[in-house]
Amino acid sequence: MKSTITTVIAAADNAARFPSASDLESVRGSLERAAARMEAAEKLASNYDAVAQEAVDAVYKVNPQGNLGRQPRVCDTEGKDKCKRDFVHYLRLINYALVTGGTGPLDELAINGAKEVYAALSIDAATYVYGLNTLRNRGCAPRDMSAQALAEYNAALDYVANSLG
Amino acid sequence: MLDAFSRAATAADASGSFIGGGQLAALKTFVAEGNKRLDAVKAISTSASCIVTDSVAGMICENPGLTSPGGNCYSNRRMAACLRDGEIVLRYVAYALLAGDGSVLQDRCLNGLKETYAALGVPTGSVARAVAIMKACAVAHINGTNGDRGPQATNNTINLGTTAKGDCSALASEAASYFDAVSTSIS
Repeated sequence: MKSTITTVIAAADNAARFPSASDLESVRGSLERAAARMEAAEKLASNYDAVAQEAVDAVYKVNPQGNLGRQPRVCDTEGKDKCKRDFVHYLRLINYALVTGGTGPLDELAINGAKEVYAALSIDAATYVYGLNTLRNRGCAPRDMSAQALAEYNAALDYVANSLG
Repeated sequence: MLDAFSRAATAADASGSFIGGGQLAALKTFVAEGNKRLDAVKAISTSASCIVTDSVAGMICENPGLTSPGGNCYSNRRMAACLRDGEIVLRYVAYALLAGDGSVLQDRCLNGLKETYAALGVPTGSVARAVAIMKACAVAHINGTNGDRGPQATNNTINLGTTAKGDCSALASEAASYFDAVSTSIS
């Protein structure tokens, strides 16, 4: 799974050289920012249920049938549960991405193939984009977390929304 | 290839759980001790040539038959191959130490190494001995106890004066465990 450190090591290995000073510098840069990322990951881990619920509520507010796509689901309760499950899934991967400091977990476990899956299931990816954008605009520093942590968290949300959109 | 962070993510993903609490605390320690880790990697990397040459020379001193006709290091070509292999092993150990996880060493260096050496007729006992000397050397460099460089080089030693020395024992034993993994996998 890709992270800052593994990317640096892979590059060094391709050139068959020991980690150079600039390799170590880029790892150091990543470690320096790690504290804020971990703060965001920690807050997310303890509050993900409420956060996901917020996204679901936002989606169902604009469309009582949940899916913004061409085949709205009529099964209201079940749809809500599944919608929340999916948001929890994205939040969990965002939690991993915040910890690893790269988008590897998101790329490998969610984004690759997402468009194809949603197309096959007739779910409009805009549903998730809408929910994620709501979360993106909802976070507030210092109420929820420190400003730097919020910036990292928002960047991860943006990354998912942009990849799905 | 994994590092300490992606290993936590992979482990959490296997059970579908978030990374929080205890796991994050361990990673926070990794981050807090990060500079020591980088120093340790630097200590090994900058002295790589010295560490490798010493360990191969030590291996041969203990077993001079290696460089005699019929020995496995006889001819400069084979001696050069031996030094090259030593450097490769040390390089992957340095990567593993930087990542805080042995997977890069295991996947890219040790996987199939035993079979390769068996096919080429390399005596793994000698390799293990060279790796053991490398381990001692690397640990000394990480702990900064390689100070005695003889009367010619006393100017090179860092005089810490009254400054307290950092404790790098955790990193030294982590590095030692990677060298042990090398020995275990080839013997």
